[in-house]
Amino acid sequence: MTTKPKSEILQVGIDLGTSRSSISASNGSRHVIDSYVGWPVDMVARKVVKKPVLFGKEALDNRPMLDLHRPLERGLIKEGSAKDEEAVRELLRHLISLAGAKEGQKVFAVVGVPAEALRVSKQHLRKAVSGLADSLMIVSEPFAVAYGMDSLLHTMIIDIGAGTTDFCVMNGRYPTDEDQRTLTNAGDAIDEQLATLVRTKLPDGRFSVYMVREWKEKGSFVGEPEKPVSVRVPVHGKPTELDITAEMRRACESLLAPISETMLDLISRVEPEYQEDVRKNVILAGGGSQITGLAGALEGVLEELGGGRVRAVDDPVFAGSNGGLAIALDAPETDWESLAG
Amino acid sequence: MPAKERLKQQLIRDLVRENLDTVSGAPPPGLGRRRRTVSGWLLAGLGATLVVTFSGAISSTAFRFGAARTGAAPRAAEAATAPDSALPAPQKIDPSLFQLAVRKVVLDPGHGGTDPGAVTPSGLEEKTLTLDIAHRLRALLKDAPIAVVMTRTDDRTVSLERRVEIANAENADLFLSIHINSMPLPDDVGVETFYLGNTRDPETARFARAENSGSGYSLADFKTLLEGVYAGVRQEESRRFAATMQAGLFRELAGVNGRLRDRGVKTAPLVVLVGTRMPAILAEVSCVSNADEARRLATSDYRSEVARALFAGIRAYADPAHALPAAFAGGGTPGGSKGDS
Repeated sequence: MTTKPKSEILQVGIDLGTSRSSISASNGSRHVIDSYVGWPVDMVARKVVKKPVLFGKEALDNRPMLDLHRPLERGLIKEGSAKDEEAVRELLRHLISLAGAKEGQKVFAVVGVPAEALRVSKQHLRKAVSGLADSLMIVSEPFAVAYGMDSLLHTMIIDIGAGTTDFCVMNGRYPTDEDQRTLTNAGDAIDEQLATLVRTKLPDGRFSVYMVREWKEKGSFVGEPEKPVSVRVPVHGKPTELDITAEMRRACESLLAPISETMLDLISRVEPEYQEDVRKNVILAGGGSQITGLAGALEGVLEELGGGRVRAVDDPVFAGSNGGLAIALDAPETDWESLAG
Repeated sequence: MPAKERLKQQLIRDLVRENLDTVSGAPPPGLGRRRRTVSGWLLAGLGATLVVTFSGAISSTAFRFGAARTGAAPRAAEAATAPDSALPAPQKIDPSLFQLAVRKVVLDPGHGGTDPGAVTPSGLEEKTLTLDIAHRLRALLKDAPIAVVMTRTDDRTVSLERRVEIANAENADLFLSIHINSMPLPDDVGVETFYLGNTRDPETARFARAENSGSGYSLADFKTLLEGVYAGVRQEESRRFAATMQAGLFRELAGVNGRLRDRGVKTAPLVVLVGTRMPAILAEVSCVSNADEARRLATSDYRSEVARALFAGIRAYADPAHALPAAFAGGGTPGGSKGDS
């Protein structure tokens, strides 16, 4: 087999997320979109939006006219939903088109999914992507993050997404089930709890899940607040200022116990001589890594084991897709050929 | 070559191998062997159990059933080497053949401690009501006499995982989780009963997500649990238990509240129903969002009525002599029963 010039191949890493999906490509392009796909509900809607399918924020903004899908629940294609499978396919097609493959250029894609994605879902993904890329690898998302950061030894990645929080201990081998955990306590759980708490505080307030998500992204924190978290909520149509500092704290801190327990449990399963190394190399990734005070709170938890260091990735939006791209660039072409189709 | 590069090459080789396994449909490492062993055990064990337990001591129908399976046993022993197509199709077991007795019931009062559950307009919390009803039901069952284990006897937080552990450790015959509904429309009031299964009903899916929050299980645990859950007679018995319970609940309570709706028997993927190893159901015995019902729930008389209705359901399941009239056996008014599969 002859090796093709690199210019004939576009390698891409894709982080297929519940809330956002990103792509990093070997031609230098990087894009992120909200993981929404919407089809106009009727001819009138189609005339208004002027497109057969809309993505991301555009889809969200036009949602009254769309059959809107957020296809990746818990990072997996919702089982049994042909429409969601189609939505994943459209989402991937759109991301790959954003990467700007040239005419005739082969696309080799590494797609990151939650750590313990079931095999059947990987096959769903393969089905969804068939024909969109010339060759495809599916990889656990925290592994992609670790690979992209060159943190392959004695490191724990905690990838806090919208649907799941994935844990992965890198110990110099391809992670097995024993090295990984997935919790469903993640960003969406914070949104749900925050919405419930705000609704309790202001029963007449009217707000949507999209507003709650925005509040969280702007003001999430654990521990002592650096500043009050204030939002505007319509009450009987009148915008009303509401202090949700306590509610935000309570909702965000609901992640602390399950994440701490799982982190400690996984560390306890590491070979004793390497446990300290892992404690000092805990990396937070995903949107949840941006929760103010979270790294410090987890370091506090590690104190009981003798201390540790927890840090967030520099680029939470692209850490996963950059890692996927690094894998795509390092994989020999023979491996890509074996996975073609 | 530097050690890190060698490590990366090895990781990519492992990743490619895993992806090739997905493409070929091969089971994940370790899983294939276990599945084969379990299926072999299931068939061989079924034949052996029926021969040992029932030979010469049961009805002619049961005997024919046992004889047929005895014939299948030698083939089952070859299951590890025979191709799947050579195996006889599995036959459904009629649980009534076993004349199973109910000696011990686990009562699981929903919510508790930091988790109040739904709240009535007057501030009465679901956790308090379910505990009170469970205590009243326990008193009735003790007179039956049926031993009762409760997952909590006071106002404390008990994780869903712990509730499952308690039930399984007690080797109980039945598991009944008691909950009280809250509906979006204040006029809605009804009773419904769930057993384990998937659902396509968005309302039930939302309910399952809410009830499963903070389960304590990881996806890996869940995968292991689900692998075995549909095997054997447990799901069928859970369905029968749910149907008799729903019939008992509605028959008893409709006499007190003429506006009560029979919302039917439904399936839902609820954590407490997945992990428990005995026939298990979750009953929504009332509805706090309805003002009249909330007022009734505040009275001890009505809570006693609910406990008696639950008792009627358990007794009808456990003892055919107390079986409910045919009109009630299926549960559900037209349009009220969803997802029963």
